[in-house]
Parts: sequence; C-alpha cells; structure tokens
Amino acid sequence: MKLRRITSLLLVAALAIAGTLTGCGSQPSETTDTPANSGTVAEDIDYANFTIDPSKIPQEKLDTTLYVATSVRGLENPYIVTITEGMDEFCKYLDSIGQKYEKQVLDSGGSNDVEIDNMKQFAAKAKGNAIAYADPNEAAIAPSLAEAMASSGGYIGTAWNKPDDASPQDYDPNWVIHTSADNVTNGKATAKALFDNMGGKGKVFVIEGMLGNTASIDRVKGFEQALKEYPDIEVAHQDTANWATDQALTLVETWLNDTPDVGGIWCANDNMATGALQALDKKNLKGKVGVTGIDANTDIVEAVKAGNVVATVSSNGYLQSGYTLAICYAAWAGLIDPAQMPEEYRVFLTPAVMVTADNVDSYIAEYVDSVPKMDFAKIFSCKAD
Amino acid sequence: MGKEKLAALSITEEFASKIKADNQKERLTKWAPVFVLIALFLVFSLILGGSFASGSNLVSILNQWAIPLLVALGLTFVIMLGSIDLSIDGTVGMAGSLAAVFVLNSRNGNDMGVWGLFLAVFCSVIIGFIIGTIHVKLKIPSFMVSFAFMNICAGIGLLSYGGKPPTIKDEFIASIAKSSFLEIPIITWVALLVFVLCLYIQECTPFGRHIYAVGTDETIPKAVGINVNKVKIKVFTLAGFCFGVAGVLGAIRLGQGQVSIGADLMFPANAAVVIGGTALTGGKGGVVNTVVGTLIMTVLFNGLTMMGVNPNIKTGVQGLIILIAVALTVKRGSTIISK
Repeated sequence: MKLRRITSLLLVAALAIAGTLTGCGSQPSETTDTPANSGTVAEDIDYANFTIDPSKIPQEKLDTTLYVATSVRGLENPYIVTITEGMDEFCKYLDSIGQKYEKQVLDSGGSNDVEIDNMKQFAAKAKGNAIAYADPNEAAIAPSLAEAMASSGGYIGTAWNKPDDASPQDYDPNWVIHTSADNVTNGKATAKALFDNMGGKGKVFVIEGMLGNTASIDRVKGFEQALKEYPDIEVAHQDTANWATDQALTLVETWLNDTPDVGGIWCANDNMATGALQALDKKNLKGKVGVTGIDANTDIVEAVKAGNVVATVSSNGYLQSGYTLAICYAAWAGLIDPAQMPEEYRVFLTPAVMVTADNVDSYIAEYVDSVPKMDFAKIFSCKAD
Repeated sequence: MGKEKLAALSITEEFASKIKADNQKERLTKWAPVFVLIALFLVFSLILGGSFASGSNLVSILNQWAIPLLVALGLTFVIMLGSIDLSIDGTVGMAGSLAAVFVLNSRNGNDMGVWGLFLAVFCSVIIGFIIGTIHVKLKIPSFMVSFAFMNICAGIGLLSYGGKPPTIKDEFIASIAKSSFLEIPIITWVALLVFVLCLYIQECTPFGRHIYAVGTDETIPKAVGINVNKVKIKVFTLAGFCFGVAGVLGAIRLGQGQVSIGADLMFPANAAVVIGGTALTGGKGGVVNTVVGTLIMTVLFNGLTMMGVNPNIKTGVQGLIILIAVALTVKRGSTIISK
C-alpha cells in the first residue's frame, strides 16, 4: 500500500514536470510553426461564427493520440445514450480531419466518488491529451471533476449541474465551458402546453424527479411559474417518483382513485410519463388525460404522434456532448484560449426542441430515425440565442 | 413415595404452565402483524374517507402488491435459511428486460410470445442456481455472491436493450396488465399462484421442513444425513424463480422492459419479511407471514401516497412507521443478544 502510494506520488511528480516542460516547449513552437495560430487566440475573435480550420492544427497534434470521454450517470437512461452517441458523431468528425484518438465512456453508476475517480484515472492516463464531456452526478462535484482534469492539463466541459459559486474560470484554461438546457423554461413550456390542452382549467397531477436534484427543482419551478398564469388550474396531487417509470405508475394508479376527474399529468421527465400513461391505460383514460414529459424518449415521441402525450422537450443530448467536445478540442488544439473567452461563451444555455403534435413528424425524421446533422467545425452553434 | 410424586407433579405443572404462557405469547406475536395491518387500514380509511377503501383503490393495492409479494416470497426462504439474497434489484430488472426483448417489442425482431416470458423466468432461475452453487461450493457468504450478481444481472439487463427501453408490442401480453378475473388483476393472481406453490413447498414437502432445519441449526440436519448444500442451492434457485416471475410481471405492468423495474425492491422486501415475523437469524417464520408483511408495506405506501404527504417528509414518515411496525411485530424476548 505504502509502496503504491510512493509510486503514485513519484508518477504524479514526473507527470507534473513533464507537463510543465512540454507546456513550455510546445507553445512557442506552435506560434513559430503556424503563425496564423497566434491570430486566432487574439481577443477580437468572433466566437459566434468561430470555425475550426483543420489546416491550422499542427501535425504533431493530429498525430498525438487524443483521449475523448463522456462521463455519465449510467446507461439505463435513453437520454444518456444520446450523450454517448453525440460523442460517436464527434469522433467521426475527428476521423474526417485526421486526428488520432481513443474514445471512452466513463460510467459513474450514480456515484459521486466513482465519477471523480473515473475522471482522475482518465486524466492521468491521457497525460494532458484529453477532452471530456461530464454530466456531474451532483452539482457539488463539478469543480472536483474540473480539478481532476486540470491537474493533468486536459480540457473538460460540464453540463447540467454546477454550484452557483463555481465557474469554469476557477480552473483556467482546463474547465472550458459549462452548459445547461434551460430547465426552468422547459418545465414552463410543457406546463403551458398541458394547461392549454386542458382548456386552461381543471385538476393536474405533478410528478417530480429526484428530490434535491437540480434538474427536477428547476423544472418544477418552471411548472409553478406557468401555474401562476393559469388561475383555474388546481394541483390535486404532487409527489416524487425519483425519475422512475414504475414509481410514477404506482403514484398515478393510486391518485386516480380519489381524483378520477384529473385533466392532465405533468411529469418532470419522460421515463415517468411512460409510467403515467400506463396507469391511464389501465383505466382506459389514455388519450383522454393530457400528459407531458421532458427528454423526448422514443416511446414518448411516438405517444405524441399517437395523440396520447401533449408535449415533451428534447434537450438534444447529441448536441450537448458533441459540441462540448468540439469546443474542448479547439482548446486542446490551441485554436482558442478558454482564458480569453468572454463569460457568455464559458457558461451558456443549449437550445431545446419542444415536440408537440405540430412538429412531431419532422422531429422524428431528424432526431429519431437519424442522428441530427451537426457541423462540429462551427463549435459554438450549440449556443442558444 | 407420595411426596416424590407430588414434587414431580409440581415440576410437570410448572413446566406446563410455562409452555402455556410461552404459547400465548407466541400466539400474540404471531397475530401482531395482522393487527398492524388492520390498524393501518383503519387509520387510512378514517383519514382519507371512502376513496381509500373504495373498490378501485383496493384493486390498485392488489396490483401494487403483486411484485413486492413475489420478491418477498423468494426472499423468505433465503432468510429462513439464515442467509440473505441481495441480487433482487438486478435479477428482477434482468428478467423484466429480457422478457421485453424476447417478445414482440420496439427494439428488435424477436417474437417468442408467451414462451419469451417463460424463457426470461428460466434465465432468472439459472442465476439463482448459480448464486446458490457458488455460495455453497466456494463457501463465499451469500451476502457477497448475491451482491456481485446484483451488478452482473443489471449489466445483462442493460446490454439486452442497449439503453433504450423496449416497449412490449405483443398485444396479448400487453393486455395482461389490464385484465382481471373476479375483479382481481391477473398479475395478482399469478403472484397468489406462486404463493400457493411456496406454501405447498413449505408445508407439505420434506424440502420445506429441511429449510427450517438448516435455518435453525445446520449441524442437526447434517447429522441425520440431509444434504444441506443441496437444500441451500434449491432455496436460491427457488428465489431466482420468484424474482424472475416478479421481473416478468413488472415488465408487463410497465408495458416496457427496464433494469429499473428491480430498483429499490430489495430493502422494502427485507422489511416486509421481517415485519411479517420471519426472523433474520433463520429457522422461523414462513410465507404466510410474508403475505401479511408485504400487505402492510403496500398499504402503507398506497395510503401515504393518497394522503399527499409532502414528498420531502414522506420518506422519513415511511421509515418511522416501518420502525414502529417492526417494534410491534418482531419477537424480541427470546434473543439475549441482538447484533
């Protein structure tokens, strides 16, 4: 044990020395080899239209094996699968510009410690030649993930959860960006769609996600904002189903016994909407009681098409992971300097797509039957206006 | 001579009266879970009025009871051995996921119909058999083996559908979730059928008696030539069967296969078994106790959900009531040391 600790210390020390040496060595050589590069790292970059020009990436970078990862909570959630597929799409882009790489999915299984350890090991293995998209299991660990990456000199972008008092600038330049789909807006949009579907009056059930989870809290906040605008809507029941289908099924099954005249069910995600639909189906109320979810799971999108679900929102996991990796890649390749980037390009919202009966066909064609076309050269096209 | 006879009589009498008192106490603890169940039912009926005791809510309770009952039945035999099975969350999730990908579904081209359901249960039986075999042959505590298999099975379940949960498209199988016979959901009938099977095994077969014997003191059945290892393997296999049926019914109930069908089933099942009066030390209790224990848990969850207790404090309230139920029902007097 002691031996192991000493070796790991030595290893870290060696890495640190190597890191500083290569760090000092490579920067000037980049500027001399490719003078155009120095221009791109200037302050007056038009980030909104910034485009990766592969010819400006030094050949030695292209020949270095870049380690690419997404750090996620577990693959049982269909949304998270779109995150990993977004990485696959980005890796196709790396193929197209001739970048050597190795990709990896870091699965935390819902554990904070495991996620941090995974990131440390990944960063250590990559010796600074690493980029990662991380969905921190809880807000509190986002800085730890950034620190794990920063310690080896790699680049990381986080999504969804981070503490309010932490920002990517804390780990310049390694914590490149933090993005989030706008949960409050999404929760509010689905709630309004639901209330409109009910004709602006009636009783609703509210199914929350895991208590204390930022995404759930914000989505419910959005729901409550919408509720204020519709005075004739009454919340008959509100409880958590912990993001789980079976728990949502049990809740709705039970509630329908004392509130058979419910007009709509608002769910904080689609997994729970699936359970709500199943409970309605048992009472032959499917299609008669409006349901909304968030995430755009395949079965819920189909239910929107069939008229059983009013609305869902796609957070577009492909875009979240793919473009976050693209921005980190531009930083690693030296095309942008995160430390110089303005605040609004370090922390920003990513666009969401609301799926309703009106646009469900075009949504299915673009996002379900195929992976959406993404131009990873235009790295900031993932930023919501 | 006469004096001796008197003394002998008084010892016999004393012994008899002690036995009588013990029996009385035993009867009381035996019925305590039933009283707790009735009390819960009355309290919820009083607070919630007619909607709790309504026919449709009783059907909901029966629906919600089926899967916890099946899981707890399997677990009861394992606990009666004095062992533990932590694989529940994984095995149930795996069986549910496999069932959904074996029948006509939205993810692949399989269409095995009802046989797909049997095959999924069979896979779970195999897992139970493997857990039991590793436990006795490699002499690894059941706690560790089953914990490992919880993860292995969850992994198999996830792999089977690759992250995007398959929706069951087989109309007959999907319709089972909605069907009922004599107002009782089919899913609950299946669970009751498995209960009758378990009761038969427990009461009417030598295997059933061996479980009690092994749970009480392994050395005694060993001394009379019972193959203790075989009994243990059979118990874990039986548990695998119960978990498998639970998983398959879970998938039918959801209309979808997901590993999370099994999530968070294990500890409530343990609590239900213990509340029902089966001792964690083994050798005592049985499946009838488990029926009552699982009903207590289901009625509790259902009632609290309907009451609309603030979700932030509901979990705490649940814990508190479980604690009270255990305190009322578990027979504590007989154990000198609890650990």
